Order: sequence, then C-alpha cells, then structure tokens
Amino acid sequence: MLRPLRIIFRIAEKDLRIEFRNRQAFLTVLFFAFLILVIFKFAFDPGEETVGGAISGILWVALLFPGVIQLNRSFQQEMEEGTLFGLLLAPVDRSWIFLGKFAANSVFLLAVDGLILLAFLALYNITARIELLWLAPLVALAGIAFCAVGTLFAAMVSTIRTRDVLLPILLFPILVPVILAAVNATREILEPVEAGFFANWVQLLAACCVIFTAGAFVAFEYVVGE
Amino acid sequence: MTGRNELGSQLARAGTCLRRAGWLLVPLYALIAAALYGAFLYAPTERVMGEVQRIFYFHVGMAWSAFLAFFVVFVAGTAYLITKDVFWDQLAAASVEVGVVFTTIVLTTGPIWARPVWNTWFPWGDPRVMTTLVLWLIFIAYLILRSSLPDAEKKYRFCAVFGIIGFLDVPIVWMSVRWWRTIHPVLITPSGFEMEAAMFYALMVAVAACSILLTVLILLRTSMRLNSKLLQEIRQRSLEERREKG
Repeated sequence: MLRPLRIIFRIAEKDLRIEFRNRQAFLTVLFFAFLILVIFKFAFDPGEETVGGAISGILWVALLFPGVIQLNRSFQQEMEEGTLFGLLLAPVDRSWIFLGKFAANSVFLLAVDGLILLAFLALYNITARIELLWLAPLVALAGIAFCAVGTLFAAMVSTIRTRDVLLPILLFPILVPVILAAVNATREILEPVEAGFFANWVQLLAACCVIFTAGAFVAFEYVVGE
Repeated sequence: MTGRNELGSQLARAGTCLRRAGWLLVPLYALIAAALYGAFLYAPTERVMGEVQRIFYFHVGMAWSAFLAFFVVFVAGTAYLITKDVFWDQLAAASVEVGVVFTTIVLTTGPIWARPVWNTWFPWGDPRVMTTLVLWLIFIAYLILRSSLPDAEKKYRFCAVFGIIGFLDVPIVWMSVRWWRTIHPVLITPSGFEMEAAMFYALMVAVAACSILLTVLILLRTSMRLNSKLLQEIRQRSLEERREKG
C-alpha cells in the first residue's frame, strides 16, 4: 500500500524540485496568466463596475489557458533529456508514473492559480466577502480535472513537432463541461442570485473531476505503450 | 513487416468493404428518392413555420447518422485496442471523416431553419445544438491529431484512445448544457410542435436514407484507406527489394 504512494511522491517531487530550482516555467506561466487578466481589463470602461458573467469567463481563461504551457513542458523536458525512457524502464507500474506526473502538474497549476486568484480579486475590484472562499474548492476541482486530461494528452503529443498548438486543440473541446460548470459556479459566487444552481455546478465539477481522473488513469496505459 | 498473406487478406477486406457498399446502392437510391418525395411532396406544410420546416427531415436524419458515425468510432476504437488490427483503425478514421461532414451539414441546416423560426441563427444553450457543436470540435481535433502523427502503430493507438474519450465525453457535455439551460431559459424548443403522422413517416424514411448513405460512405472510405495503405506497403517493399538487388 505504501510503496505506490512513495513512488508517486518521488516522481512528483523530482518534477517539482527541478521546477523549484530554476523557477522558469512557474514565472512564465504566472506572468502569462497575469497578462491575460490585465489585457482583458482593457475591454471594460475604467469607471464602470464590471459584470459578474463576463469576468468569471475571463478569470477562467486566465486560470486554465496558461496551464497548457506547463503540461507540455512536463513531458518535453523528459524527452529532451532522454529521461522518459529511464522513467518508463523503471520497475514500477505505468499508472504510478501517470499519477506522479499528474500530481506534480496539479501542484504547479494550483500554486499559480492561487496567486492569480488573488491578483484577480485585486484587479477587478472584488470586495472581500466570506463567500469568496468558495472559489478555492472550485479552482481545485477544475484544476485537477484539467491536469488529469492534460497530463494524458501531453504524454500523447510529446513526440509531435506541433505539440504546442495540438495540446490545447485536443484538450479544450473535451473539457467543455468542466469550463461550463466552473464559469457558471463562479458567476454565482461573484453575483449571488436567489435559488441559484451553485450546488449543482459544484456537483458536476466534482463528478467531472472523478470521471476524468479515472479515465486518464486507465487510458495512460494505452498511451505510453510497450 | 507484414507477410505476403497478410497483404492478401488486407486486399480481400478492402474488396469486401467495396462490395458491401455496392449492394447497398440500390436501397440507397430508392430511399433517397422516397425521402425527397416524402419531405417535399408527401408531408404537409407546417402551419406556423411554413416551407422552411421541410429542411427538418434531412437535418434530423443527418444528426442521427452523425451520432451513429461517432458511435462507430467508439466501437472501432475499442476493437482496435483489443485486437490491434489495423482494419478497425481505418474504419474509425473513415467514420470520423464522414461523421464530421455530416455534423457540418447538421450545423449548417440548423441555422437555416432556426433563423426564420426562432429568430436566431444559433440557439446557444440548447443541449442538442451544444452537444453537436462540441462533438464537431472534438472530432475535428481528432482529424488534426491524426494528420500530425507519423503513420505507425502509435498513431492508431492514440487515435483510438482519443476517439473513445471524445465519445464518452458526450453524455457529460449533454448533462452540463442541460443544467446551463435551466439557468438561461430558452423559450423555444425544437420539439415544440406536434408531429402529424405523414410528417413522422417522412422523417423515418429520411432517417433511414441518411443512415444508409452514412454506411455506404464509411464503407467506401474504409476500402479506399485500406487500399492506399496497401499500395504504400507494396511500394515500400519493392523499393527495399530493388535496393537489396543492386
């Protein structure tokens, strides 16, 4: 029982340690996400109060789109250094490798998203309310679902020259339910309505999270092959 | 490297697909003629929507067939992952190609009907429309993925995995859009009108015609794909033989 956990932890730790040492991807992704928030801010009248529906969409563009960069990097680095072979040759189950990569990507994305969430609240003049704490589980659920499918697809496109464009093209159509649920739940947090569907959206998000993680976990076996 | 026998069996399978498509041609022509008659002459004109409603028969027929095509992708993808037989991959690829064309037709005939009737080109929030749109996006992504991978076992495996995931995503999309819609109520529903018996028969014939058309096209494409793969392999082999000789 403990061995798989230790292996998963080792793989995730390895990725995160590399990232922590140069912090290149972290700063790039963070800056890109921040840039999205700023650029979209120009779309609104500076004096005007921005509406909940539109800004919840912007928030999710900033939270998820830059994540694609990291997903691609997580396998590209292994390809460049030729370490992917070593990883695949290790006498461990392939699914644990997937879980390790997935854990590292999730930690990375959630760390970026936490900071972006704070920047969002400041830039878009959101007054502090206790309900805003609900954004944390939303980001966690959507981020995990995103990273699960994303890690699988990143492994798939890692050998293709056009992987940088290909990954978002494959990823976002599949993630439509996640994005739909996340954006709508966020809108209800930012602009509370009576008799909302917030609980439904969170349920859908949690369901997607479980289904996508399980699906990617099963499919990874077929993607890395012999 | 595949043996001579295997090449022979591939050729035989391509031939079988072609023959099956040939058998279906007579029922196909008959059904298309019947569907045209049914949609334009037999079925009564809808009282409120008028003549434009007649596009409905082919719109629904195409939509049903497109979903069928993507179901074939799912089944063939699963079969490929189990058997590792290239035939299933080629069948899945052919189904995606035809399915995307059919979905494109659905997404263009829809607005032609929607604009005069609902006063909108595109009813965002309708689960049927949204699910079709997402399916279309997913399988266009499939085609892009397919064209960017070099022809090898890995490509078939990746495409099978993506096709299966894409198909299984459909019910989740459907659910999420249905909830979305309860928040943004769309006042008009496509099934808001009572269907007369004559309309129903015309619809059934159109659905049958579209399904047969889909089957014929998939069989033809599968056969073409198998043949072109075969040709490539033969060419490769003769090149190698020539190189060995001199």
